[in-house]
Amino acid sequence: MRNMAREGIIFNIQRYTIHDGPGIRTELFLKGCPLTCRWCGNPESQSQGIVPGVYTAKCIGKDKCGFCETACAEAGSLVFEENKLVSIDRKRCINCMKCADQCPADAIKQWGRKMTAEEAMEVIRRDKAYYQSSQGGVTVSGGEPLTQSEFTADLFERCQKEGIHTCLESTFCTDWSLIERVVPYADLLITDIKHMDPEAHRKHTGVSNERILENLKRLSKLGKEMIVRIPVIPGVNDDMENMRATCDFIIRDLGNRVSQLQLLSFMRLGEEKYASLGRPYPMGDVNLDRKQFNKHIQTLANYFNGRGVSCTAGTTAGEDGGMKE
Amino acid sequence: MSGTKPCGTESYDQSYGVGYRVGHDDFSPYERVNRLRKTFLDREFNIDIQRARLITEVYKNNPDLSAKLKTAYSLQNILENVDIDLYDEELVVGEVAAPAKAAPVYPEFSVSWIIDELKHHPFDQRAHDKFFITDEDRDELLEILEFWEGKTVADLVDSRLTEDEKKGCELGKKVYMTNLYHFAGVGHFVMDYPELLRKGYNGYLAEVEQKLEALNPSDGEYREKRDFYEAMRIELKAACGYIKRYAELAESRAKGETNEQRKKELLQIAENCRQIAGGPALTMWQALQLWHFATTITQIESNGHSISYGRMDQWLYPYYKKDIEEGVITKEFAQELLEVAYVKTGNPSKLKDKMTVEVRSGRGWGGESLTIGGVDEDGNDAANDLTFMLLEASAHTRMMNPWVCVRMHEKTPYELKVKAVECIRAGYGHPKLFNDAPTIEVMQRKGMTLEEARNYEVVGCVEPDLPGYEYGFHDSAYMNIAKVMELALNGGKCIDCSKDCPRFAQCAGIGSHLGPDTGSLADFKNMDEVLQSFDRQMKFWTDQMCQGINVIDRAHRELKPLPFASAFFNDCIETGRDLGEGGARYNFTGPQASGIATCADTLSVISQLVFDEGRYTGEELLQAIRDNWEGHEALYALVNSSKVHHYGNDDDYADEFFKEVFNCYCRNIEGRENPRGGTFCPGVYTVNANVGLGLDLGASLDGRKSSEPLSDNMGPVHTSAASHDICGPTAISNSVTKVDHSRATNGTLLNWKFPPECVAGKAGRENLIGFIDAYFAKKAMHCQFNIMSTEMMKAAMKKPEDYKDMLVRVAGYSAYFVELGKPLQMDLINRTELSF
Repeated sequence: MRNMAREGIIFNIQRYTIHDGPGIRTELFLKGCPLTCRWCGNPESQSQGIVPGVYTAKCIGKDKCGFCETACAEAGSLVFEENKLVSIDRKRCINCMKCADQCPADAIKQWGRKMTAEEAMEVIRRDKAYYQSSQGGVTVSGGEPLTQSEFTADLFERCQKEGIHTCLESTFCTDWSLIERVVPYADLLITDIKHMDPEAHRKHTGVSNERILENLKRLSKLGKEMIVRIPVIPGVNDDMENMRATCDFIIRDLGNRVSQLQLLSFMRLGEEKYASLGRPYPMGDVNLDRKQFNKHIQTLANYFNGRGVSCTAGTTAGEDGGMKE
Repeated sequence: MSGTKPCGTESYDQSYGVGYRVGHDDFSPYERVNRLRKTFLDREFNIDIQRARLITEVYKNNPDLSAKLKTAYSLQNILENVDIDLYDEELVVGEVAAPAKAAPVYPEFSVSWIIDELKHHPFDQRAHDKFFITDEDRDELLEILEFWEGKTVADLVDSRLTEDEKKGCELGKKVYMTNLYHFAGVGHFVMDYPELLRKGYNGYLAEVEQKLEALNPSDGEYREKRDFYEAMRIELKAACGYIKRYAELAESRAKGETNEQRKKELLQIAENCRQIAGGPALTMWQALQLWHFATTITQIESNGHSISYGRMDQWLYPYYKKDIEEGVITKEFAQELLEVAYVKTGNPSKLKDKMTVEVRSGRGWGGESLTIGGVDEDGNDAANDLTFMLLEASAHTRMMNPWVCVRMHEKTPYELKVKAVECIRAGYGHPKLFNDAPTIEVMQRKGMTLEEARNYEVVGCVEPDLPGYEYGFHDSAYMNIAKVMELALNGGKCIDCSKDCPRFAQCAGIGSHLGPDTGSLADFKNMDEVLQSFDRQMKFWTDQMCQGINVIDRAHRELKPLPFASAFFNDCIETGRDLGEGGARYNFTGPQASGIATCADTLSVISQLVFDEGRYTGEELLQAIRDNWEGHEALYALVNSSKVHHYGNDDDYADEFFKEVFNCYCRNIEGRENPRGGTFCPGVYTVNANVGLGLDLGASLDGRKSSEPLSDNMGPVHTSAASHDICGPTAISNSVTKVDHSRATNGTLLNWKFPPECVAGKAGRENLIGFIDAYFAKKAMHCQFNIMSTEMMKAAMKKPEDYKDMLVRVAGYSAYFVELGKPLQMDLINRTELSF
């Protein structure tokens, strides 16, 4: 018998998501990611550890509360300015989470919690009626779900047994053996091509793209439905040369077996979360003319469509759906 | 036509855009409709005193007549003498005894507030709901109103209410509000339009005359019945005469008309009026004209609101079908007729007292629900061409009226769902959706047969009702159950008790308290004791409220019978009894509970923090709300945080308390009797009374500060600190459907607020349809949508002139956002936007 109590580390479960896969979905975000994309919208997902995040604006002040300081196991970890918690000394903090447990104001958020697949299923089942009526289902995203491939495979297997559609959103920056473990239980795959140049890829995401592209080639031969996305980041990958290379790759190496290419416009999504982790926002300087940029993206979409690659600006759900990660 | 799929004049999946669009006035393909709409929007709201003058003449000159005959002669005097007019380009004519969009005055119901406001708080100085009146008219009106002092329905009610009933209602501490029928007419019904169109007024006259002749003087109710029939006869004849006046006016206008096309139209209007001034409707145009006259004349008789239109796609269909088959009209012209009729329904305006508009702003009459779709009496889908066309008319006019309601059921055609959702996501607040399964159960619970139940329509906001058979007093009161909870937790005392309270000298000042002492949170040992106290307090206040409503009910019966309206209800003519005397076959009274989630989260906080975790004592919690949370910041943050169980998150812990509160209210209302031989029906919705009721309420344990709104309708709590629902729409939907909606026989209401981008694109539309299907499969009764971003509402507050026609879904109705009071605007903005 398999280990029924296998736990995953999840940092968010979002119900009624409509951007990652068809219909109404429940989306699980798993912790841990081999990439550190500069534009990452969920920086709390990068490490697999369970850590506290600080939201200073919600802190009601040490003078009126002080629960966190009383609870703290490593005195001096919490940094206050003018009575308000502003950050956590990450070198000192042992991530015991007592401060987050005690905070009455949601000013300290716990990033990550352990859950068994069955516990996750209890949440998933609650919205079964909506999946059925909208042809939706479950999406596992991250982070990188394949860093927790056993959990993900277990969860997907349970979903499929209960007739729930499964979607895996992955970087596929991992060993083929882990991919092989999960993909049979996924009805739909969603992945990114962030950059075609290995060096640029390394510069902006922390890793080279070679393994990713190799895995995508192998995946394209499985006959699985696959959506490919390009997070279009100004000054990083939005130039015509990169787009041409991407298009070449899709046609030549993936045999254009991609159900849809989605161009997602850069959004400043990760900013607040970077701050909560006490990290500087890597995209800090980028401010763009949204109208102009969307026009540019539409031009790119037209280019792909012109070459026979089915492409949309945004996800299929919203006409101006934002980038998720 | 038979055998083909029902359809409108446009493709079923025609898109009407997503979200409100600034600066558009060309929604209709018919130029006439766009122009009539613009004229309507640009017109001012005035007060017109003709009706007051004409009714007062009759009452002054005939002090000894019975109330029925006074009513009849008054209506006659008004219909014979009021100025009438025809407006450019209109095809359906008739107003409510005042120029278009001007409000007539109904002194027979109440005058003290009109006098007070004319003298001390002029209507044109209001922050919202302004009305204008000339100085000359103001002076004459004040003189007229003087006559009525001490003679009105409100005066009679005041003289009969006990001290306990007074202190609970709008005259006291507003534990409940019975202000609507205390100060104005009742309305809230649907006349038997199909029968009226078939018989015409002459058909009714013949019946009435026959009844009058056959009346036996040995009948114990001889006098009452004789006056009733006599009054009906006078009024029906007056109605015919009034419609003839319009025929003559149209003819005389036609004579002077140089435009040949318009001349033809005017002559047709004249011919229509001649035909229906007594006779049945022969064409669709005549049917619409008779429907409009019947409705507006009823509104001249009494100013009760929510005179609703019933299942218009069903009763109008035979006329449409015949006209199309005989080539009398084209489908396009039929569509144009529907759209001009829609614009016309906006004209009646109603002057309301400042306390009422504080709770429910909007200058329209209110409540003009128009039901379409659903099943027929055999349970088959009833959709036809008109179902689609009436939705298209709504998307083409985008006005407050009518309040279109689509009945949905398991076999609703996909095309109709798409059409309804296309209208919904255009973001103008219509239509609302009703679910047949639980609503048919409601009607059966009310004692109707299955066939009758399947013929329900919706009155006003969300009240299920049987057309032509039911007098439901649907909107009779709003109970502030958060106030009841406050008294239940605090020994019957107000939490904000102080010497500043106008009742202090007769209450706390002499050691007394507002409600009975049913215990205190400082002493309760477990949740059972808390709930028992709530139930006992609820019993006391529902006793006061229902007795108070019955006093109002009797006052209407005595002073303001409705012989004209009664003609169109089974079985008033048959029994010789007026609506007010219980002449309708089904009689109910429907008061609503407001603040149900406020109470649920309050109980959840107590249960978790006091009895489960022991983190706080009951006394500490009471002190926190006594202090309006000042000095209790950590506790305030905690009860507004995700660490406390909150209703609306599909969390059984809190949802069980929601159920508890819902059932407690229903249990205390069900089975009570009203003076018309019927029973009380609980409703669980607030419309927007949650804002006004919240204004007068101290802090509450759900994390609400003093004066903030209560939770709206069936929705979760949102305080100024946080929205308590954080798990999205499916979680709310699951929470809301854990109660049996059909137990709320006067209706439930749920507002959804989605930002436009969440429902954009084809996938957005399909997801929304899927969501609604699943929500209704869980037996929810009703829902409605705001497809509106918070940013847009904020922008409209800044530059109202650019957003004049921006409708928002307030509750059962849509209203022009820029015309709402600021507290209500803020409440709408603060409702959780379901963004993901």
